[in-house]
Amino acid sequence: MTFTGLVGRIFMFPLRLIINFCVALKIHPNTLTFIGVLVNIAAAFELAAGTDHFIHAGVIMVIANIFDFIDGKVAHESNAVSAFGGFWDSVVDRFSDIALFLGLIYLYSHLGRTDYAMVAAIAMMFVIMTSYTRARAESLIKKCKVGFMERPERIVLFMIGAFTNRMAAVLWVIGVLSVFTVADRIIYTYRELRETEQAIA
Amino acid sequence: MKNPATLPGRILWNAFFWTYERATWQYDVMVIAILAFVWLTPPDWLHDPTASGAGPIGWLLEQLR
Repeated sequence: MTFTGLVGRIFMFPLRLIINFCVALKIHPNTLTFIGVLVNIAAAFELAAGTDHFIHAGVIMVIANIFDFIDGKVAHESNAVSAFGGFWDSVVDRFSDIALFLGLIYLYSHLGRTDYAMVAAIAMMFVIMTSYTRARAESLIKKCKVGFMERPERIVLFMIGAFTNRMAAVLWVIGVLSVFTVADRIIYTYRELRETEQAIA
Repeated sequence: MKNPATLPGRILWNAFFWTYERATWQYDVMVIAILAFVWLTPPDWLHDPTASGAGPIGWLLEQLR
């Protein structure tokens, strides 16, 4: 078993209990999704409040992302899977992503660091494009699941940045790898479409 | 597009144009590389607005002097 696989299994144990609890209480998965974004907005406020609040932000992000993680599983186990649920989840996840970046942009602006405000803004742009390129690609081709920097990786990196006060390094990693993820998806889609066109011709 | 012919080139190519699943050994290596960058890079090198100091690498370089 790989290291990340082992970590996943360890964290899955308490999450399984929470999922079973939510299913037993018949909490609608769309409600969990919505609670997740509200908690993420609270985390963004903590990030914006400065370094002294980073640990609080990290704890709140952990809570928010439990909601983010379990909503799909709860939907599946309570037979509440719906097309709208998938759409709602994707849309609300973008709000959560943007909220955290806005928290950091506010903080860096407040500190007079326009350089890092721009780093955070550019990283945010490529994070949004990461989701958009996949969504748009999958309206043209079957699957476009390439590139490393997806939402789970971003969330874990944000938590690490907050808990260990290494947010600058985290922003660089998210920014650079998101650029490559977007490029990867554009190139992959181009190749897939070209192959389809050649097969037809 | 073809992969680069040399081994370092191929490693970089596969790292940036990522197609591996989670919980594979390639994913583990990428995660370790990212964590090493985040935790070992001195905040001063990145002009980190919220952290300062030389970090573990700076400490090591200081000891080697």
